[in-house]
Amino acid sequence: MTALIKLENINKHYGTFQALHNINLEINEGEVVCVIGPSGSGKSTMIRCINLLEQYDDEGKITVDNVLVQKDKNLKNVRAEVGMVFQNFNLFPHLTILKNLMLAPIRTKNISKKHAEIAAFKLLEKVGIKEQANKYPDQLSGGQQQRVAIARALAMEPKVLLFDEPTSALDPEMVGEVLDVIKTLAKSGVTMIVVTHEMGFAKQVADRVIFMDSGQIIEQGSPSEIFDNPQEQRTQNFLKAVLNH
Amino acid sequence: MWITASYADTAEQPPIIVGANIGNVPWEFQDTDGTFIGFEIDLVTEIGKRLNREVDIINVPFNGLFAAVQSGRIHMAISSIAITDKRLQSVSFTQPYYDSDLSLTAITGSSIKSLDDLRGQIIAVDTGSTGDMWATENEQKYGFAEIRRYEGLAPAMLDVVIGRVKGYVSDIPALLYYTKDKPNLSVMERIPTGGRYSMMMGKNNPLITEINNVISTLKTEGFINMLHAEWFGAPADENTSTVKIVDMPKKNDGIELNFVDTFLNMDVFLQTYPLLIEGLFITVQLGLLSIITGLILGLFLALVRLYAAKPFRFMAKAYIDLFRSIPLLVLLIIIFYALPFVGLSLSPFSAAAVSLCIVSGAYTAEIFRAGIEAVPKGQFEASQALGLSYRYMMGDIILPQAIKIVIPPLTNNCINVIKDTALASVVAMPDLLKQATQAQAISANPTPLIAAAIIYLMFLLPLVLWVSRIEVKIKGGKR
Repeated sequence: MTALIKLENINKHYGTFQALHNINLEINEGEVVCVIGPSGSGKSTMIRCINLLEQYDDEGKITVDNVLVQKDKNLKNVRAEVGMVFQNFNLFPHLTILKNLMLAPIRTKNISKKHAEIAAFKLLEKVGIKEQANKYPDQLSGGQQQRVAIARALAMEPKVLLFDEPTSALDPEMVGEVLDVIKTLAKSGVTMIVVTHEMGFAKQVADRVIFMDSGQIIEQGSPSEIFDNPQEQRTQNFLKAVLNH
Repeated sequence: MWITASYADTAEQPPIIVGANIGNVPWEFQDTDGTFIGFEIDLVTEIGKRLNREVDIINVPFNGLFAAVQSGRIHMAISSIAITDKRLQSVSFTQPYYDSDLSLTAITGSSIKSLDDLRGQIIAVDTGSTGDMWATENEQKYGFAEIRRYEGLAPAMLDVVIGRVKGYVSDIPALLYYTKDKPNLSVMERIPTGGRYSMMMGKNNPLITEINNVISTLKTEGFINMLHAEWFGAPADENTSTVKIVDMPKKNDGIELNFVDTFLNMDVFLQTYPLLIEGLFITVQLGLLSIITGLILGLFLALVRLYAAKPFRFMAKAYIDLFRSIPLLVLLIIIFYALPFVGLSLSPFSAAAVSLCIVSGAYTAEIFRAGIEAVPKGQFEASQALGLSYRYMMGDIILPQAIKIVIPPLTNNCINVIKDTALASVVAMPDLLKQATQAQAISANPTPLIAAAIIYLMFLLPLVLWVSRIEVKIKGGKR
């Protein structure tokens, strides 16, 4: 079985600061990977390299479905196959919820408006906010907005979904509804990489958990390996800090 | 001690303030070190001496002289001002001291030898002058293609030399003096109009009798004829008003003009109204054209500046910085008067439209750039992550949001462009303000200017109010 996503020897510098150190990672189709670690450990930077929102250093190589991710004419096609959900939702505020979902499929996949609309309604139903279809993003709660953002990413029928701390900007009472949607997706076999601070969620849905610190992958394994029996000192310290407060 | 001394000193009377359109050779102009000299300068200086009063000469454009004497801002105006019936309704004149005619000046050896050769040609005049009045009256008779109105002799002559206008009609003494040392220009024909120059003062200014008496004395002494000999190379004819004492021109009526008659004169308004509407039409045309082309240029520049390859980005930035720093008036003058020397001769309208577009484009580019940069980074990232191409990202996501942000500053820029169209007067374009100043000079009454101001207000004020409302709205809600 070949990996859907491959990161080989990925480094990333911001000036003299090195944000990522020699990352090597393979993600298989259907796998749910949760990335945990302290703030500033490079988790977000790493997944943002996968759709080239961040440019990684020259010597590295990232492929999605065997296609090299680089600044070229093909980049937008690669990006179309990699869905992303942001911490701050980044919905398009001047478009209705429905139009937020329809825009990219119409523009990139050459499908009819009607088709796009039917697909959009289906997805909104899936994330439980069909009745909000004609509202604008700022009329929705944060939790609802993030569910729309997930539906928007799904509308492109991506091969993989990247979640960049999807619940960090939410009020606590709304975290649950968003995590529920992601859990449902995880069970349905969607390949996904989730950067998260929700340890309970990671434990529950992840096939594999990756712990990062200082731009490096320190340790990875099944949820029970990482949470119940971490090998590395830094992993142990981190888990102690986040679980015992 | 000093109190008695100052009491006895008659020179303690306030100086006589005289407005003159400096540059009007040989009547009042500057020598190389900036001193005001000329026939009329010598004359008022002598009058001051005889009255034992100081004379302060200030530079006022010809068109401004009428309002200046009426408001009392200056006591007296000189600038080879001819006595006309219309002007006598609003101002007073001393006895004349020079009999003049108009004349036609053209390029030596050109096809223009007389007025009859001007059929179908463009001629130049000074805004609101007797030449302007004569040309307007005789437009049909001689079949002029167009009358272009300039703010003085120098720019008009420049356009004659460039060839954009074929002839210049103005007072003969000034033209004779000006062409004296310029063999490429010649006075082709004298146009007898019987104009007589005099000093203009506000209606019923008590000083006028005193000054008129001094002029009589100076004529008797032969002083004025001596000035004539000095400035024109020969004494004047015995029968001219330079030598003979004549009566002060009679006022048309004894009514003293009050504020309403001066600034809100209904008769003057009705007479000049069609002229103003013509001007408004041109102002609106020029404004709209410049705004639309400026918007397109500005958006293009903003995108180049933000996203193009480095050398293009640098060029866009250089353009934007350059044309935001250069005064519009300077640019306009360069485009209109300098480009013909490299073979590009634009009409006044085109020159004005091009200048306004160039400058408005630079300002608009900065407004758009600020607007685009104000769209959160997440919007770009979300668009990219969805695989949208640059075109759709900008067209569907970024610009629609940026435009909402930039509507208030863009509208302000539009208002400025419309106001700046008034600068086109300097290239003889008959916009609203130009028409108003012309009407003002002909009727010697500032009412047309007030009317023009009201017209500007009528279509700019709603825009200003609208912007304020939009600004509040945008601050209030996100969408």
